[in-house]
Amino acid sequence: MLEQSTRAEIRSFIAITFIFFLTLITSCSSKDRVEGFIHFRLNHDPSSLDPAMIVDVTGGAIAAKLFNGLVRLGEGYEVIPDIAETWEVDSRGTTYTFHLKKGILFHNNREVKALDFKYSFERVLAPGARSPNGWVFEKIAGSRDFMEGTVDHVAGLEVLDPMTLRIRLDRPFSPFLYLLTMTAAYVVPREVVEQPEADFSSDPIGTGPFRLRDWRHNDRLILDRSNDHFGGRPHVAGIVYRIIPEDLTAVTEFELGNLDLLSVPASEYRRFLNSGQWRSLLVSEPGINTYYLGFNCSRPPFNNAELRLAVAHAIDREKVLRTYYENRGTLASGPIPEPLRAWTAPVMPSYDPAAASAIIRRLGLKGKTINFYVTADQEVTDIAEIIQSYLRTAGLTVAIKQLEWSSYKAALNKGEEDIFWISWWVDYPDPENFLYPLFHSANHGASGNRTWYTNFLVDQLIEQGQRTRDRAVRDRAYGDAERLIVQDAPWVPFWHKADITVRQPWVRNFRSYPIYSMDKGLEVAL
Amino acid sequence: MLFILRRFVLLLPLLLGITFITFMLTRALPGDPVFNIVGERSSPEVIEKIRREIGADQGVLRQYGGYVALLSQGELGRSLFTNRNVADDIRVKFPNTLRLAVASMLIAAPLGVLLGFISARRKGRPADRMITLLSVSGISLPVFWSGLLLMLFFSLRLRLLPPSGTGGLPYLILPALTLSLPAIATLVRVTRVTVIDLLDTPFIRTARAKGVSEAAISLVHILKNALIPVITVIGLEFGSYLNGAVLTETIFGWDGIGRYAMEGIIKRDYPVIMGCLLIGTLVFVLMNLIVDIIYHYADPRVRLHGTDR
Repeated sequence: MLEQSTRAEIRSFIAITFIFFLTLITSCSSKDRVEGFIHFRLNHDPSSLDPAMIVDVTGGAIAAKLFNGLVRLGEGYEVIPDIAETWEVDSRGTTYTFHLKKGILFHNNREVKALDFKYSFERVLAPGARSPNGWVFEKIAGSRDFMEGTVDHVAGLEVLDPMTLRIRLDRPFSPFLYLLTMTAAYVVPREVVEQPEADFSSDPIGTGPFRLRDWRHNDRLILDRSNDHFGGRPHVAGIVYRIIPEDLTAVTEFELGNLDLLSVPASEYRRFLNSGQWRSLLVSEPGINTYYLGFNCSRPPFNNAELRLAVAHAIDREKVLRTYYENRGTLASGPIPEPLRAWTAPVMPSYDPAAASAIIRRLGLKGKTINFYVTADQEVTDIAEIIQSYLRTAGLTVAIKQLEWSSYKAALNKGEEDIFWISWWVDYPDPENFLYPLFHSANHGASGNRTWYTNFLVDQLIEQGQRTRDRAVRDRAYGDAERLIVQDAPWVPFWHKADITVRQPWVRNFRSYPIYSMDKGLEVAL
Repeated sequence: MLFILRRFVLLLPLLLGITFITFMLTRALPGDPVFNIVGERSSPEVIEKIRREIGADQGVLRQYGGYVALLSQGELGRSLFTNRNVADDIRVKFPNTLRLAVASMLIAAPLGVLLGFISARRKGRPADRMITLLSVSGISLPVFWSGLLLMLFFSLRLRLLPPSGTGGLPYLILPALTLSLPAIATLVRVTRVTVIDLLDTPFIRTARAKGVSEAAISLVHILKNALIPVITVIGLEFGSYLNGAVLTETIFGWDGIGRYAMEGIIKRDYPVIMGCLLIGTLVFVLMNLIVDIIYHYADPRVRLHGTDR
C-alpha cells in the first residue's frame, strides 16, 4: 500500500513533469524556414564542393550555383557561352581557342583571367591532387605526361593573352565542348585554393549566381544570392539545402512547408499522385538515364549472345514499368535515351516467353543457377524478385545476392556476377557518353563497361563518332553501334527514369533539368 | 584511486588491441573505398593514382603501422572522401550525440524509475498491468516506427516541433523522446523486479514493524537499495547512446556520431570508422568506470579495490 503522502508526491511529480513538457512543447513551432530563400532537400551531405573533387550529383548540383566554366548547356542541350564570350575550333577539330568575357569577377572581387582556367584544369590533373576527374581533361595534349609528373605543365593548355585560352587536343574528340560544361571544368581562384590552412572543399569561392554562406555538415547548407552575377540576378534571396536522409522525414518537412521542392520518393509517388492537393503540383521531366539488366559477357553462361537474347525475351519490361514502376519512366528502346538519339530506334527483342524457354532448353541450360547481384535497396530488391520470377518461368534459377553499394561495385569491377542491375546517368548530353564508357572494350570494369562487352566493330564505330565533326557521319556511326549492341544484347535496357518533383503552390518558374549542371538557380521564384 | 589508475593504465593496451582488430577487420571487408572516391567512371591510371595517394597500395601491416604513428601524434587522420580532419568532425558531432544522450536519459531515468516503482507497489492491479503493457511495447517497438509516429503526431498533426535538423531544444525533443522510450521500458522492468524483491526482504518488514513511515520506506530503504541494477542499466544505455543512435539520428536528421560512423562504414571511409570506434571504446570504458565509482557510493558493500569484488 502506498501511503497518502507518497501518492501525493508522485502525483505532483507527474503534474510538474507534464506541465514542464507542455510549456516546452507549446513554446516551439514546426516551422523551419529562412524568409525569401528557397528550400531544397538533399538526402546526404555532399563530400566536397571543390569542382576538382566532386563526383556525385548532389555536389555537382550545388557547384553549378557557385561556379562557372568556359561554356555551359542551354535549354536544348546545346553548348552556349558561360565565361567564354566566343570560341573557334580549327578545321581538324583539335584546337579550341576561347575568348573570355571581360569583367567577370570571383566572389573575392578578382577578375577571371585565362590563366585561372589553365590553373583550374591542371589542378584536376596534378599528380598529387587525388582528383577522380582526370578523365575529363585527358584528351588535352600533354595531359598524361603531366599526370605522371614528367612535365610541369600541360602542353595543350596555352594562355595566349590574359583573356584568351587555347586548348589543343591529342586527336579530334567531337564531344570535347560538352566535357567543358562539366563540374570539373569550373574555374577556381588560385590565391584562395592555395591559402595556407584553407579548405576549399568546405569553403569554396567561385563566380556563380550564389555564394556559400554557411555549411553545417550533415544538417544544412546555405547559399546567398550574388547580386552582381554576370548571368543575371537570381529571383530568390538564397538557397537552403536541408540534409535529410530519411524519405518520410523529408515528406513531413515538405507537407509542413519547410521544403519548397521535393524529389518524390518512389514509396510516396502514388500518394502524391492521388492527392487533390498535390497532383497538379507534380512536375515530371524525362530523365537522361538508362536502368538496365547487365550480363557478364566475359564468361559462361552469358558469354553466349543467344542466352542473353533469351533473357531479353523472357521479361515483360513494359508490364513491369506499367505495374510495379507505376510508369515513372519511359520504356527503353536501346541503351541510348530518346532525347540523345538522332536516328531510328533499334528494335528490342519482344516479350516472348515461349521463345525464351525454347532457347534455354536448346542450350541445355534449363535449371541452371545464375547469380544476380543487386544493391541492398528496397526498389532494386523488388525488381530483382520480379526478374527472378520471369526467369524461373523461362527455365533459369536465379540466386539473388544483395550487397551494399561499396561491395557491390567492387564485385562488379571484378566480374564476380552473372547478371546485375544498375543504371547510368548522363554526364553530358552526347550519345558518346553512353556508348564509349559502357560498351567500348577499353573500358572494361571500373571505367564503366561492367558487362565486359567486346565487339571491335562497335569500338571502331564509337571511335569514328568521337573523331568526326560531321554530325550526320557521327549519328550514323552511333546509330549503327547501338543497333549492333542491341543485337549482341550485353544489356537488357529497361527504362529511362523520369525526374518527378513536387512543388509548393507558391513556387514559380520551377523547371526540372535532366542534367544537374543546367540548373543555375536563376529562374525559380517564390 | 589505485583501482581508477589501474583502469586507465589498462586503457592503452585495450585501445591498441581495438585498433588492431578493427583495422584488420575493415580491410577484410568486401568493398574498396577507391571505387567510391572515383565515382562511376574512371581510368585504371586514376584509380591507381588515388590508391597510391591514400596508401592503399601498401601492405596492411605497414598501413597499420602508419595509423599507429598517426595516433601517437594525437591525430585520427583525414576522411578519404571529404578530406576533413576526423578529429575535427568528431569534435563537432560528439557534443550533439552527448546532448541527445543526456536529454534522453533526463527523460528516461526519472520516468522509468517512477513507473517501475509504481508498478511494483501496485503489483497485480490495473496500474501495474497498464505499465507492464507499456514497457513491453516500449522494448518491442523499433525506434524507426515510434520515431516516425511521434514525428507525425507532434510535427505534422500538432505542428509543435520541427521534424528534423540539428539545433536547439525544439530540435532535440523528438529524437530524445524517441530514444528514451526503450530506456524507459527497460528501467521500468528492472526497477519493478528489484522493488518487488525488496518488498519481501526482512529489513523492510523490520522497518515497518519499527513504525517507519511508508514514504521513508519507499524513498530511503527501497529506492536506495534498488539503485544498483538501475545504475547499471542507465550506465549501459547511456554508454550506447554516446556511441550514437544511428536510426534515431537518421530519422531526425540529427548530426551525431552514430550517423557519422554509419556513413563511414557504408563508404568504407577507414579513418572515420577507426576514429568512431576509438572514441566509442573510450566512452564505454569511461562509462563503466563511472558506474563502478557510483556503485561505491550507492552501496558501501562494493569496494573499488578490485581484488575483493
